[in-house]
Amino acid sequence: MSSPSKRREMDLMKLMMSDYKVEMINDGMQEFYVEFHGPKDCPYHGGVWRIRVELPDAYPYKSPSIGFINKIYHPNVDEMSGSVCLDVINQTWSPMFDLVNVFEVFLPQLLLYPNPSDPLNGEAAALMMRDRTTYDQRVKEYCEKYAKPEDADAAPEAKSCDEELSEDEYACSDEEVAGKADP
Amino acid sequence: MDLSAVVSWSDVSTERREIEANKGEREAREERNTEREQIKQLERLIGRERFNRWFMREGERQSWGYHHALCNGFVHAIGDLEPYIDTPLQAVVFTDINLENAIEFNDYCHSHQPSIAFIKADVRGLFGSVFCDFGPEFTVFDVDGEEPHTGIIASISNDSSALVSCVDDERLEFQDGDLVIFSEIRGMTELNDGKPRKIINARPYCFNLDEDTTNFGAYERGGIVTQVKQPKVLHFKPLREALKDPGDFLLSDFSKFDRPPLLHLAFQALDKFLSELGCYPVAGSEEDAQKLISIASNINESLGDEKLDDINPKLLRYFAFGARAVLNPMAAMFGGIVGQEVVKACSGKFHPLFQFFYFDSVESLPTEPLEPSDFRPLNSRYDAQISVFGSKLQKKLEDAQVFVVGSGALGCEFLKNLALMGVSCGSKGKLTLTDDDVIEKSNLSRQFLFRDWNIGQAKSTVAASAAASINPRLHIEALQNRVGPETENVFDDTFWENLNVVVNALDNVNARLYVDQRCLYFQKPLLESGTLGAKCNTQMIIPHLTENYGASRDPPEKQAPMCTVHSFPHNIDHCLTWARSEFEGLLEKTPAEVNAYLSNASEYASAMRNAGDAQARDNLERVLECLDKERCHTFQDCITWARIKFEDYFANRVKQLIFTFPEDAATSTGAPFWSAPKRCPHPLLFSVADPSHLYFIMAASILRAETFGIPIPDWVKHPKKLAEAVDKVIVPEFQPKKDLKIATDEKDTSLSTASVDDSAVINDLIMKLEQCRKNLLPEFRMKPVQFEKDDDTNYHMDLIAALANMRARNYSIPEVDKLKAKFIAGRIIPAIATSTAMATGLVCLELYKVLDGGHKLEDYRNTFANLALPLFSMAEPVPPKVIKHRDMSWTVWDRWILNDNPTLKELLRWLSDKGLNAYSISFGSCLLYNSMFPHHKARMDKKMVDLAREVAKVELPPYRRHLDVVVACEDDEDNDVDIPQISIYFR
Repeated sequence: MSSPSKRREMDLMKLMMSDYKVEMINDGMQEFYVEFHGPKDCPYHGGVWRIRVELPDAYPYKSPSIGFINKIYHPNVDEMSGSVCLDVINQTWSPMFDLVNVFEVFLPQLLLYPNPSDPLNGEAAALMMRDRTTYDQRVKEYCEKYAKPEDADAAPEAKSCDEELSEDEYACSDEEVAGKADP
Repeated sequence: MDLSAVVSWSDVSTERREIEANKGEREAREERNTEREQIKQLERLIGRERFNRWFMREGERQSWGYHHALCNGFVHAIGDLEPYIDTPLQAVVFTDINLENAIEFNDYCHSHQPSIAFIKADVRGLFGSVFCDFGPEFTVFDVDGEEPHTGIIASISNDSSALVSCVDDERLEFQDGDLVIFSEIRGMTELNDGKPRKIINARPYCFNLDEDTTNFGAYERGGIVTQVKQPKVLHFKPLREALKDPGDFLLSDFSKFDRPPLLHLAFQALDKFLSELGCYPVAGSEEDAQKLISIASNINESLGDEKLDDINPKLLRYFAFGARAVLNPMAAMFGGIVGQEVVKACSGKFHPLFQFFYFDSVESLPTEPLEPSDFRPLNSRYDAQISVFGSKLQKKLEDAQVFVVGSGALGCEFLKNLALMGVSCGSKGKLTLTDDDVIEKSNLSRQFLFRDWNIGQAKSTVAASAAASINPRLHIEALQNRVGPETENVFDDTFWENLNVVVNALDNVNARLYVDQRCLYFQKPLLESGTLGAKCNTQMIIPHLTENYGASRDPPEKQAPMCTVHSFPHNIDHCLTWARSEFEGLLEKTPAEVNAYLSNASEYASAMRNAGDAQARDNLERVLECLDKERCHTFQDCITWARIKFEDYFANRVKQLIFTFPEDAATSTGAPFWSAPKRCPHPLLFSVADPSHLYFIMAASILRAETFGIPIPDWVKHPKKLAEAVDKVIVPEFQPKKDLKIATDEKDTSLSTASVDDSAVINDLIMKLEQCRKNLLPEFRMKPVQFEKDDDTNYHMDLIAALANMRARNYSIPEVDKLKAKFIAGRIIPAIATSTAMATGLVCLELYKVLDGGHKLEDYRNTFANLALPLFSMAEPVPPKVIKHRDMSWTVWDRWILNDNPTLKELLRWLSDKGLNAYSISFGSCLLYNSMFPHHKARMDKKMVDLAREVAKVELPPYRRHLDVVVACEDDEDNDVDIPQISIYFR
């Protein structure tokens, strides 16, 4: 395995090689956005989310922090902050994992198999346990309302809009690569 | 002989107080009388000035610790025992005493009723020994100082040997034979009787119990299993017997596994040498060395079956040469060990040393052979050191340019050691010390260069002047800069290039990683150490010989899952994490948010409109609350706010949660929702009669008043008056949000009722805020409160503890006191002087090697030690990883240099000529080039230095001639190759 200092570069590279749309924040390698598509065969299919990824100083020893920028209705995602409560990207993270694992496996699994027993969004969890049909419907409504492709595209933090950043954005939006979502 | 004084006095007194509290008062008095007798007898036996003792009397103790501190960490023989005659004597430490006398005193201590702990310690040059005899029957109450292990039960079988399974949250740490008790079990309630039961067949997530539960009730749910720590009784042998039959020696270094029996023999031979010749061997005298070797050989011959095959004359020669010298690092190390043994003898906490410990550090000797003339005394304070290492190394020590980073517990010890060793005390020597911290009261228990009148002063300045008073020749400069990228103008290239060695005395990993990077870059040796309670570790980072500090890392601290902290805490840590985050939200973030709004309302509003998300909405709601309906004008308003917060946190939120997930709720699979490790909460019913409820109101209202700049009336501290004020508050009735229930009935309209459009709400909130702002004075601001755990009068920890404990009560989790809360919330493990002294002693033994130069990897030692067990583990450092590519090889210590101000294209070409295809180039945390970004192609013809200026916005001062980039590349087979940093010279 490569040295920790190069892991950021390598992991980011691998993510882009897997055709994920990545948008750097200010040419730094600490934080960036990744476009994420809901997996097939679940009510989240068709939804597109902008995921904020932050690589801590101790990455890959410490897990990346992952947050949904546009809203999602899910028992394990905080509706307000978009924080995700998932053991593999918190407690059981290992430096063997990388960003491709996060987007190809962990997040799709989270959307396919929510865990209502340890909810962050209690309401969503309770609804899922009591009435799966209404829950599925609610998820779809949220997708339509908040997770259309253009919702994932919008730049929410308009600050620090320097030349380099805008250049990046044009470059990225021209490409229109669809994220590979299925594990 | 000197030993560093290293007992943590406050710890001793607490332990001792607990022990005394358990004894009857009469018993204690009787004990004091008998001990008065003991002293007299001992005096008769010993003669006054012969022994150093630790006095363990309550009250005297603090002043004693203080006295030791005044002596700059050195224990001195006590001449006059008279003032301490009524001291209850629990432990005696003998140093510099011959065996014959030692045996006599030991017999007395061993057979005394109750027995007196006897500790004998010696350091001779680079060799040291400790012997402990705590009496024929000594009880250890706590063998390792660790918290009792616990587990959350998932199931228990009805069996002849019940199988107990626990939730798979955390691995169990029970061992076979451990005793455990059970609580909160539903169903099989017979186990809740508090009787300790034995574990058999312990496994990671389950264990069997030595108990027949066949006829017990069937397990339903719940239950916690807790280890009961068992006292351990040790039977010590007296010195007389232990000398002949030493038992197992405590081993410190596996590469020297045969060393302890040899040193056991050597120390006896030295004692015989002394009694036969009346003095110790002279340094450099081959005649004396031969004499010692022949004595050792004779003793060995008389040992019969125990005889050693090889008495290693070479080692004995070194031992003879150093016999007269007491070296500061050895004294510091053994002082640490002995100090901890004294605490063990007096407190019964931690496992005593059983019974002999021998240690040597011959690897610290210079690599070049020394001539007898090198050892000749110069009639200086360093003669002892010269007699072991020779005057050439002494000169190197004195002329060394040293950087000590940090002036806390480790820093104070280091400064004392360095001053005593004469490091940086020569005309060319220079010691730079930096620390940006000021002295606090809690530092005084171990940072012994500081006095109570120094509180509030800069640590580095006070420590530097104290060190200069130990050795006036010390050339020391004290700075108050934190080391980091922001102080690279102070600690510039010239500063780093001139250094011989860097000594870390830091308390956090990030600063250590930074210094590591700098040392790596400037190729400087770095001596690293750290302590954690009774544990300590040292790591030597030597250019090109060893790996660097950052090459291996501890796993990051385990954090509780967010949902657990949020709604499902099951231990006090979870409650404290929650309390800490609520504190920050209420008292720091929200007031800061209010001020941000008030400073520039229109800009703030448009930023929130732009964001347009739930977070922005939440921010605005909280700002509005502070300025509108919850705004406080009087102290009574603050009490109202605190009372309503109580209701919200500890009643309403819990009611809402139980409403959403009733106690009998089931998951989709039909299993109960509230199953382990989740604990079902219960709302609190506020009562002014409950002191802890009132305590919460007091702390919360005081801090709320602080954020509004409202004066705090004295009456708030009178429970009765406070209760009257709280009673005036009208608390609205709780109505659960029925949104969910409605949703299940009226499926079609669910979304529209559930989430109204955020942007509409945001606009509405901004309008309301504008109204509020019109009623405020233009200069109105709130005062954000920043959490400070160390001030006992600021009510911060009081509120955190109150928040955490009330939440713990909601979930029936045992509550903690303020001090324990502070330790957990602040992640504080009290630093103790014993392990600190030992760590710095070990590091200074390595410093001899570093400053001598020319030592090989196998001469260096890294250490991990735990004085509580006790355990010493010393080993050769790990060499750096060598990377090979084509015919090249390099390690992390190498750097590549590229001259002539290249462009990006030229850099890529230079690499591809080596068979390396670069795909990513970064400067600091800034990405200069990535082959995946099409627009980065436009950067190809730019000079690298210009890219750094434009993209990373770096300012390169005129003296700077190069910049360093990190390049990620692959070889032609697409394998990643980890190449060195590249220095690009642009002028």
